[in-house]
Amino acid sequence: MLDVEHLRKVYDSHGRSVEALRDLSFRVGAGELVCLVGPSGCGKTTLLRCIAGLLEPTSGRTLLEGRPVTGPPERMAVVLQEYGRSLFPWMTVAANVELPLREKKLPKARRRELVAKALAEVGLADAGTAYPWQLSGGMQQRVAIARAVAYEPHVLLMDEPFAAVDAQTRADLEDLVRRIWQDLGVTILFVTHDIDEAVYLGQRVVILSNSPTVVQEDLSVDLPAERDQLTTRSDPRFTTLRGHVYEQIQKAKTGA
Amino acid sequence: MNRVPQRLAATFGLPALLVAFWWWASADSTSFYLPPLRQIIAVFPQVWTVDRLETDVLPSLARLAAGYLLAAAGGIGVGVLIGRSRVLRGIAEPGLEFFRAIPPPVLVPVLMLFAGIGDQMKIIVIATGALWPILLNTVEGVRAVDPVLVDTARAYRISGLRRLRKLTLPAAGPQIFAGLRQAVSIAIILMVISEMFAANEGLGFAIIQFQRSFAIPEMWSGTILLGLIGFGLAWAFRVVERRVLFWYFGMRFEGRRR
Repeated sequence: MLDVEHLRKVYDSHGRSVEALRDLSFRVGAGELVCLVGPSGCGKTTLLRCIAGLLEPTSGRTLLEGRPVTGPPERMAVVLQEYGRSLFPWMTVAANVELPLREKKLPKARRRELVAKALAEVGLADAGTAYPWQLSGGMQQRVAIARAVAYEPHVLLMDEPFAAVDAQTRADLEDLVRRIWQDLGVTILFVTHDIDEAVYLGQRVVILSNSPTVVQEDLSVDLPAERDQLTTRSDPRFTTLRGHVYEQIQKAKTGA
Repeated sequence: MNRVPQRLAATFGLPALLVAFWWWASADSTSFYLPPLRQIIAVFPQVWTVDRLETDVLPSLARLAAGYLLAAAGGIGVGVLIGRSRVLRGIAEPGLEFFRAIPPPVLVPVLMLFAGIGDQMKIIVIATGALWPILLNTVEGVRAVDPVLVDTARAYRISGLRRLRKLTLPAAGPQIFAGLRQAVSIAIILMVISEMFAANEGLGFAIIQFQRSFAIPEMWSGTILLGLIGFGLAWAFRVVERRVLFWYFGMRFEGRRR
């Protein structure tokens, strides 16, 4: 489905070259929900931008359904961290969700149907005529998720989407992501710096090392498929996994 | 709901006070060059008759509109091109700074050589002067489009004309309007100046004629009319700006509330 092969990215600026990503390889199977977690400053965003086709890697490549990614692929949607800046403030919520569908040249009736469905999916069925800046941060991020959902992607990339919302909203949004994933059967790659979030959400957690980044460990999360903020987070297995990821990241930081 | 009177007071309070002060201070003036405001207002309706508005004021306003619209179209069009391309910016920017530094009235004698003394010359003078603030602000606004929005548009493969209409122009909108606003006052100044050099009609020409024939209250009444026109245009500009950039003002208002 999504294959990342020996991705390497070196930034050259003013005669100084910085190796952000050294050699990254991993694979996300169709319909999987994989979390990428790593110490702060480990190049998570660089990696995601390379996978999304927004940034050209120095070497290596990403394959989406067997085809190499050279620019933003049609079957991929992204949700970025800065929800307040990723929505177009001059358009209503519905127009924001609809805009990528216009580029896809879908007929009007189909566009309207997709927009309504996506907004209902994220619990904003009545907010279509509002402007993004009239909504709270959590609601704005829901709009960004609705835009991604309406796009009917095969892969959904999420770059620390909940880093800037408060803890309660965050828990709601995490459950929303799980639900969308289960409802739509979409493949999700979720980047986060939050270990709890990674273990709670993912079927697998790919732990990244310090920069220059490699894959530190590819961990399978053997928690039950039905997850719940209360029971899952108090499950002893959750605690063990969380402890393990934490340990790996500490190791990654010290470069061991 | 006492917001309307409050806003009216805020808009007209200071001008009313200044006019009252002028009235009071000039009431007993015997100076030939500074006649009492009473006298200026008295000649106003006699000078600015419908006839005169048609022969002197309307042509001026038409040239103002033509020059301004040319400047807006050129400034925004070229500004978007330059703002979008780093290469073009590198090439164009030193030149732009040079041309901007030239005071536009200086161009009047030069342009007279090429374009004669008719409407064409005056429109070109207005357009070349009003162009720079629009052009430079557009370049800056387009260059400074939020990179997160740019990434979002790219990720959703929004490109070409749709990108221009839905991303670039609205995002640069507030800055473009800042340029357009500066251009209004420059265009008015150039409208008058272009008519002072060589003309046989126009508002600027009329004011100069009155001055040369020592019709001082009449001259002052022309100045007042110019002020009123400037005020009217600024007001109309605000109405348009509020409509087009409603999201920008809404966003700023929400930002203050939180």
